[in-house]
Parts: sequence; C-alpha cells; structure tokens
Amino acid sequence: MRELIAKRADALHPGAWWILGLCLAMAAGLCQSIWIAVAISTVAVTTAWAFRTSAPWSRSLGFYLTLAAFIVAVRLGFRIVFNSGLETSKIAFSLQDIEINLGFGPSVHLFGAVSWVTLQSATLDGLRLAAIVLSVAMANTVANPRRLLKSTPGALYEVATAISVAINLAPQLIESLQRVRRARRLRGRSKKIGALAGTVIPVLEDTLDRSLALAASMDSRGFGRRGDLSKGQQVAVRVLSLTSLAIFAIGVYLLLSDPSLSLVAAAALATGAVEVLFVVRISSLRNVRTRYRKQNLTSLDLFFLFMAFGILVFALTGFGGAR
Amino acid sequence: MIKITDLSFGYSGAESLVLRRANLEISDGEFVLVCGPTGSGKSTFLKLFNGLAPHFTAGNLSGTIEIDGEVVTGLQPHELASRVGYVNQQPEGSFVADSVEDEIAYSLEQLGFEPKQMRQLVVEFSQLVGIEDLLDRSLLTLSGGQQQRVAIASALAAGQKILILDEPTSALDPAAASEIIDLLKLLTKERGITVLLAEHRLERVIAKADSVIVVNGDSSVNKFAPHEAFKEYRLVPPVVELSKKLRWQPAALDPSEAAGRTIDRNQWINRVAAPVGKTLLSAEGIVVNYGATKAVQGVSLEAREGEVLAVMGENGSGKSSLIWALQGIGEMQSGSIETPWGNPRAMSDDRKLDVLAMVPQKAADLLFLNSLADELAESDRVADVAATSTAALFAKFAGRVDPKLHPRDLSAGQQLSLVLAMQLVKNAPIVLLDEPTRGLDYQAKAQLARVLSQLQLEKKSVIVATHDIEFVAQIASRILVLGEGVAVDQRSVDQVLSAGNPLASQVSQALKTPGLISVQQVIV
Repeated sequence: MRELIAKRADALHPGAWWILGLCLAMAAGLCQSIWIAVAISTVAVTTAWAFRTSAPWSRSLGFYLTLAAFIVAVRLGFRIVFNSGLETSKIAFSLQDIEINLGFGPSVHLFGAVSWVTLQSATLDGLRLAAIVLSVAMANTVANPRRLLKSTPGALYEVATAISVAINLAPQLIESLQRVRRARRLRGRSKKIGALAGTVIPVLEDTLDRSLALAASMDSRGFGRRGDLSKGQQVAVRVLSLTSLAIFAIGVYLLLSDPSLSLVAAAALATGAVEVLFVVRISSLRNVRTRYRKQNLTSLDLFFLFMAFGILVFALTGFGGAR
Repeated sequence: MIKITDLSFGYSGAESLVLRRANLEISDGEFVLVCGPTGSGKSTFLKLFNGLAPHFTAGNLSGTIEIDGEVVTGLQPHELASRVGYVNQQPEGSFVADSVEDEIAYSLEQLGFEPKQMRQLVVEFSQLVGIEDLLDRSLLTLSGGQQQRVAIASALAAGQKILILDEPTSALDPAAASEIIDLLKLLTKERGITVLLAEHRLERVIAKADSVIVVNGDSSVNKFAPHEAFKEYRLVPPVVELSKKLRWQPAALDPSEAAGRTIDRNQWINRVAAPVGKTLLSAEGIVVNYGATKAVQGVSLEAREGEVLAVMGENGSGKSSLIWALQGIGEMQSGSIETPWGNPRAMSDDRKLDVLAMVPQKAADLLFLNSLADELAESDRVADVAATSTAALFAKFAGRVDPKLHPRDLSAGQQLSLVLAMQLVKNAPIVLLDEPTRGLDYQAKAQLARVLSQLQLEKKSVIVATHDIEFVAQIASRILVLGEGVAVDQRSVDQVLSAGNPLASQVSQALKTPGLISVQQVIV
C-alpha cells in the first residue's frame, strides 16, 4: 500500500506539478464563465484528492477547500451588503435598504435590491479566485517540496541545501525554546535580567551549537567538494553574467520608459534570461555531486506540460468563444 | 593503518596543549576506546583524524597523521570524507535529510556515486546495521538507538574504513547502548573497519575494546592494552575498581572475567538502609499524554525524607514526563500529587521554589549570564539568601573555579555543580533530578553521589530519573522501574540491581553475592 501511495505522488515530476498548477491558475484568472471556473476547481480538487499522500504538506487540502468556500461566501456577502442600490436589471430579491449619512459626501447605502446580474458577477469573481487558490493548492498538496528542492540545478545546490536545512531546524528551534522557557521557570524570577534575554540567549546559544554541529557533520560527509572549471568556462561565466545583467537593466529601462518599445524590451529580457540559463548550466559543471533517486522529466511529464500549456493558450484565446 | 608521529595540538590562547608530541599506531580493524576525564580533549583528539580539528575548532597543529602511508594532516574534513566516517554525540543534531534513505545516501551524493550504485549501497548498509525496514521512515520518528544506527550506516556507506564516534551511547539506555557497541564490534571483525570511540561509561565498552587510548588532560596521550590501561588511569569502571580493591591479578575488565572469584563476608558491608521518615511527596495515578502518545499511564509513587528514589527505564518509558509532571510544569491529564505544603501543581512558580528544586536534563538551559560570578550572585538574589551562599555551595561541589569564566566554558560536571548549587541554595525539601549523570566522568559522578548523600543526611527527599545503573547502585534507596509508561518494578535497590536481573550492576554480576551491588560496599 505504502509503495502504491509513494508511486502516486511521484507520478509526475514536482516541477511539472507546479507548472500544471500555475497554468490552471492563470487559466482560471482569465476565464469569464462560472462553468469554466467550476470545471477548473473540480479538476484541481479531484487531482489533489487522487494523488495526495500522508505527508505533512498533503494534509492541507481541507484547509484550502475551506479557504475557497470562504472566498466565495465573502465575495457574495460583500456584494449584497455593499450594494449600490441602483439596480437597473431584473431584481432577484430585495432587502431593507439602510442609508447611512456620514456627514460628508453622498450617503452610503447598505443592502437594498439585489439583481441577478450582480449575483452572477459576484459569484464569478468568487469562483475565479477560488479556482486560483485550488489550482495552487493542488500543486502544493501533491508535489513534495523537498523533492522540488532536489531538482534544483547544481549551481543553486547550496541555496537549496540552506533552505532544506532551515526546514529541518525550525522544529528544533521551537523545541529548544520550550525547553529553555521551562528551565527559566525552574530557576525563579530574576530581577536583573528581563525574561526576554533569559530566554533568547540560551536559545541562540543552543541554535548556534546545533548549527555548528550540523555544519561539522555535513563537512565530514563530503559537503563542499568541488570540481574545477576550465579557464575558458570561467571566462564565459563572468562575461555572460555581466552582459546578462546589463541587458536586463536595459530591458527594464525600456519597458518602464517607452511603452511603444515594449517588443524590444521583451526581446532584451528574453536574451538576458537565456544568458542566465547558460551561466547556471556552466556553473553546474563544477558540481561533483550526484543525486540519489533524482527524478528526470518523463514522457508523461512532457505530455502533461504540453496539456498545461494547451489549457493556457486556450484560455488566452478566450476559451474558444466560451466567454 | 593509522600512524601518528610527533603530533601536537593546542587551542590558540590556551595555556596547555591538548596533546604534545604523541606517537601512536592503530592497525586496521582495531576497536579503540578513547577515554579521559571530562574536558581533557577526547573529542578534539578524535576530530584530528578527519580534519574537523583544526579546521572547525581552530588551534595549532604540528606533526603528522598517516592513513595507509599517506599524510592526511592539513586536509579538510570533506577531503577526508571518503576515508573517515564521523558520528556525533547527538545523531538528531547532525541529520541533513528527512528520511532514513536520503540520510544514508547523503554522503554518497556528495562523493559523486552513480545512482544505481547508491541504491545498492543504501540497501546493503541499512541491512548491515539492521534498519532495512525503516528506509522510508522519517528520522524524527525513530528511537535514539535507531537514529544512532542510521548515523553509523551513513558514515560508512561510501566505503570508509575508519569510523570515529564521539560518545555515541551517552543518550541511550543500557540495552540500546550494548546493541550499538555489539554492532561496532561486528563491523571491526567482519568488515575490517577501524573504530575509534570516546566514552565516559567505560563499563559499556571496555570488554569489547582491543586497545585503550588515554587522553589525560595533561597533554599526554598514550595507548595501552585494555588490561594495562587501568594500572595507571584513575577513572575506572566499577568492576575494575573492585579488582583493584581485592587485588585480583589480572584485573577483571568485565563481570564475566570475574567468574569463579569470590569475596569474604568480612570484606564488605551492607548498604546503609535509609531511615523511614515521613512522606514528603505522594503521587497517585499520574497520567501524561501528548496527543495520541501515552507517556505515563497511571503511575503512583511515594518519596520519603532522607531517601533517594531512582526512576529507571528504557528511552521513552516516561521517566522525564513523570518528573516534569511531579514538578508541575509538565503536562498531566489526571492523577493527584500531594506534599505537606500542598499540591505543587497548584502553587505559583515562586512559591514552588521553596518546596521543590529541579535540575533538568540540560542543566545549561538555566544559565544565561556572562560569567560564573554573575550567575552565583544572581542566584543569591533570586533565592533571597546571604551573599556568597551559592558560591560557597558551588565551591563545596566543584572546588575552586575561576569566577571570571563564562558558564558555557565550564565542563559538563562544573555546569551541573553550578545549577545544583543554584537550585539547592533555596533549601527546598524535595529535589528532582532528570538524567544528571549524562556526560560526567567517574570522578564527577562520585562527586554528585556525595552531594546526594549529604542531601539524604539533611532529610531531603531526592527523586532522580536516570539510565545509569552504576550510579543508582551507589546512591539510591529504592527504585521505580518504568516500562512504556507503567510501573513494572518497584523494589529495593538490592533486589532490582541483583545478579540475573536486566538491570544488574557490574558488582552483582561479577560476584553474584546477594546484598552486594556497589564497589563502595567493599572495605579492604
């Protein structure tokens, strides 16, 4: 059973899950139909439900569903409460109109008659937001964050390690905080030094000790080994880093200064991005590490990515006229 | 083979060197026990072998260490990672990954093994240390012994032939500790792995060791055969002390080596039975749950004045939870606690200080000032006693210590003495201690035993949670043994620690004489 569940979560590359989730979210943001928003939400929730595991990050699906329902309710509620009171189309229902005179400007109307059009647009807004939340929730529920960190390119390995170490240290920090606070109560109230210093100093010392022990452990297990880059590769990395920075700066300047040159700006930004990719690629050659159970993109991943982009294009072109 | 030539190491600014011109040889597959008093530099000595000293500790190094004929002094830890595996005192503090499998694979990844080979090695080494069923488990859900096995597997998976362990059993109960030591012995025999292991509780290791390196604290580092080592060295396990007292030749290193030895009735005295005084604390049906975890399930106990009650049991049997519940800060779902002064759980923290004194597992948590002198003075103020009262008590426990020292720079024994002094100066009638002997050498332990005897004379009631059988044999009047949160044994010390019991002390195992459990009873 355990194996089956593990396989399910690993069905797609975590990166693919996130791209799929973000594409769905963007499509949801663009849609103009209640039915499409509902369809996207349904797809996201059923996928998350089917592929979730028992891991901590998988347990948040219920929370996201509650959040989505809350968003729809708030959106509808606000539209009913803060109604303009100037409905022209067909009225769905009427509530007692409350007029509040603030003493300046026009008076504020609360409640009053609510039209079908108002209800419909509020529902669409709410469902669209909910669909965005649920799409992101799907990626978050299904993709293993640590495995996502593992898939980072070699040049970013140190950053990824720092993040995963921080994830591991957080619960330990809470544990030592609790321990020290208990210890302080054992010692009795001190008039000389505030409760804060008495707690913070031992916790910081503890954290520092732990960090040093961890660093020593990582170093003695080979962390920090590096291969060498050839002279040519070193030069290439430096030149590419500098030029990409310059091109980025020019691109941003053009984008902000002259809207008519937005195409040129986009081209500059794209060139900069490609150069950054090369820098990361070449720097990764210094890496002597290998990855245990590294997930590569499979044909299934590519198929799903293709579908994801398909959905996005479909959304950009107006859902085949469904708006 | 490891060869050390004229090796000297000292911390910058320190007066004396950790070791001066040491010359040693260690052969392949040797099981080496590294011992020495607290603060003598055992850890530093071990760290020299994989470059953590001086690269992590700073300090000056001269002389050479050769591994298989190649000089390795000056190399960084990560450059030595493929040859030397390192296991820390607290495995949970050195874990990098979240699952067992990824943790074992970590150094393989760093050293650039091929994925296919990695998978084979992870399986092979998890089987070797007996954790093949735990591969997909989260490291945090493992017991201390299992965590230590994971640490050993991940230190060896890349084919390292030398394994360094810094007090690997200090947090383990006797059963788990002896399993780890047996595993290490197996590794030396079957895999030819050289093991260098630092330990205070020599009784756990000495019988398995091929040789002993003594780091004496006076810059001398010498290697002996196990039987030779203790002719010079003072800090010895109880059975060796017994051999010395009774002039056995050769000395028994392990109770099994004492087979056939006997002792005359006039050579030992009975333990002094504690006077049965009035009850100072009685607890009834204590239940402690953390969510779904049942830590303590209906334990009752009585602590009387003038006696030391030892609470023993495996890791996770609920000792700490029980002590904290008695103190009142810890969780408690049901049960009642009574003292002549009322229920401690209903008292304010300040009021409670007059009734209960407690020293937690990590004594240093109570320290937060910048010098020993400040801590002592602050303690006088908090306890509202005459100035230098705490200092006088501390001096009685630990002797003269430079008051300008930072509390963090004190040895484990000195830190414990300081916290004991701070807590005892308030003169509370009930004293609770949670694992006080962790990291203490025999001398510091004997010192602590003297403090506890003094408390007995003062008619205080002491409750101490501990793994340390030999310490209990010295000081306790009664024992409460916990197993999975339930009281499984509650008899006199003589009975619980007698030969044939799971918690038999070394002296009872060696002499199998009813009533004789600790070497302090032997008078020659």
